[in-house]
Amino acid sequence: MRGMDIELDNVSIEFGDFTAVSPTDLKIKAGEFFSILGPSGCGKTTILRVISGFLNPTTGEIRIGGEPMTGVGPHKRPTAMIFQNLALFPLMPVWENVAFGLEMRGWAKARRRDKAFELLDLVALGDQAEKMPDELSGGQRQRVAVARALAVEPAVLLLDEPLSALDLKLRQHMRSELRDIQRRTGVTFIYITHDQGEALTMSDRIAVMRAGVIEQVDTPDLVYDAPATAFAATFVGANNVFRGHIASHDGDMAVVETKHGALRGRNPRQVAVGGAVFLFVRPEKMRVLSAAGGKENSIDVTFERRDLEGPFVNLFFRREDDVFSAHLVNAGAMAHDPPARMGICFDPRDGMILPVGDMADE
Amino acid sequence: MNRLLRSLGPVMTTVIVLLSGVWVVGMIIAPQLIMVEQSFWTKDRSGDAVVISVRIDRLYNEIDVLRFDKTDAEALAPSPRRDAKIAGIEAIIADKQVAIADLEARETTPEKVYSLRNYTIMGQAHLAVFVKTILASVAVTLIAFVVCYPMAYAVAKLATPGKAAIIMLGLIIPYAINELLRVFAWLMILNHNGVANYLLGLIGVGPVPFLESGAGVFVAMVYAYILFMVFPIYNTIETLDTAQIEAARDLGAPTWQIHRRVVMPHAKPGIAVGCIMTFMLSAGSYAVPYIMTRGTAEPWFTQLIYNKFFESSNWNTGSAYAFTLLVACIVFVFLVMRMFNVNIKDIAK
Repeated sequence: MRGMDIELDNVSIEFGDFTAVSPTDLKIKAGEFFSILGPSGCGKTTILRVISGFLNPTTGEIRIGGEPMTGVGPHKRPTAMIFQNLALFPLMPVWENVAFGLEMRGWAKARRRDKAFELLDLVALGDQAEKMPDELSGGQRQRVAVARALAVEPAVLLLDEPLSALDLKLRQHMRSELRDIQRRTGVTFIYITHDQGEALTMSDRIAVMRAGVIEQVDTPDLVYDAPATAFAATFVGANNVFRGHIASHDGDMAVVETKHGALRGRNPRQVAVGGAVFLFVRPEKMRVLSAAGGKENSIDVTFERRDLEGPFVNLFFRREDDVFSAHLVNAGAMAHDPPARMGICFDPRDGMILPVGDMADE
Repeated sequence: MNRLLRSLGPVMTTVIVLLSGVWVVGMIIAPQLIMVEQSFWTKDRSGDAVVISVRIDRLYNEIDVLRFDKTDAEALAPSPRRDAKIAGIEAIIADKQVAIADLEARETTPEKVYSLRNYTIMGQAHLAVFVKTILASVAVTLIAFVVCYPMAYAVAKLATPGKAAIIMLGLIIPYAINELLRVFAWLMILNHNGVANYLLGLIGVGPVPFLESGAGVFVAMVYAYILFMVFPIYNTIETLDTAQIEAARDLGAPTWQIHRRVVMPHAKPGIAVGCIMTFMLSAGSYAVPYIMTRGTAEPWFTQLIYNKFFESSNWNTGSAYAFTLLVACIVFVFLVMRMFNVNIKDIAK
């Protein structure tokens, strides 16, 4: 199996008056684990259905391995899909499920049975082959779905939130399992999810999508550390927000005038002086002081609440109507017994200035 | 039972138990039992019956003669002898009347003789009609299935909800019309000089003897019972997860394979129910073949049963015929269930 690259060239999808996906250009590299991350209803599943051939784009063209896919049906594309609810065939035993694609390609029974068992061994289900799908656990069914999709040797595997039905522990386990299968097979994975944790842990690259528009395509590190929009900054991970406008520039840094004082941060989008902006600071980058004491980027706050997460604690502070949070390692006096009045501050390199825009709903 | 008692109380429990009892006895046991009992005996009128009727006639004659004697006696001058004579005659008349009542009772309720005779007397001609009815009903069922499966699939999986509602409405409306009306309408369409033959005549074909060839019965029956095939199939297909159809297509299945491997196995209970209902209704239909053939084509077996009951007045043979048809239908049901590998529980769902 060898992965293929996928190109979306000015692809848009409309349902009547409703624009599900605005014109989009996207290049997914061969053999890449590519995630499309966004809230439900943002159009990510629609993109997947267009790539798989179940939907036709309203405009634009899709190319897989350089070949235009216009007019090519789902069964003729070098793609295989793993559905959100897996869509295993409940009336066939596991091995027949896996062999279904081969049966449709006219393989003889003995041969496709051997191949199915081989694939089931690959996903560690060799001894479950004769069972019915209903008799398997959620994680096992998941792996059957992967084996069934891989049986037809696709160049691109499309996964539509396949882990959403599993419980947390299993989900985390399946993440590394899927990543592992992807590395071993070299197939291009396009993974749809609304779970930022899944996207960050598994992906080579992530596309952050909102309301039919892809707002950012980057590696997980860059999506997290250098979000391109206010939405990306708030949808992926938590963030503290300061509203204000640019007071002055200095190189790639800028000072933002907020109602809590002047705060300095990076200005990657080079917003001009006077521009309305958000300044974002990740909770784990926020440092906690016993008092602000006039340091740069520090503000006085009152302590409000402490949430214990085990190895970490989240501290919440208030200043006027704004609530801020800090994410600390569960160690030291501040983490255990914070005083009522204290200060928070951050390094200017950890402040991210972005133009005002819609944020993700909490 | 105890659970019922706990959750509903004694009054409701009694009502429910009574109602179920009435249902089981009234709807299931009693009608079949009466029919079966009726089918296993014949009235013994042979030989004896003639003798009895002659004896009754003779007794009536004797009574008439005695009445004349009595009138003569009454005309005599009153005397103790006359009174004794009249009393004697009256006693004899009373005796004879008792004898008549006894004989008449024997004549009107002849002795029941239990045997398999009713089942063995079916002649070649009737047997042929029976076999033809069963085969024709199977054919009606197959035609209805071929017509209904694609329709049910289209409504359940391809149509938008709005369109599906309109199609469903279109399917239901004909059933709001009286069955006789519908069948008579088809009679007019398929008649020798009906609409169908008129249209065929325009292109220089025909006239085709739809009714006389028995084809009319097929058309009218498929039309009359199609809904009983559509709805069970539609209901099961509707519960099929569309993602399964897409998954099959994604894995390279052509349309017919999707149906063979995914849709039909899922819809099996619905198909079985549809086939059973259509078969039962066709095999048991009386009005449709009666109206559509009017004696011009071979009758349906139900017409023979009717004739046994009301034309030859032989309820026992009629019952035997009816029971034979019932057994054939039950055999068909089990065959279908066996063929589709479904059990009663699946069907009940």
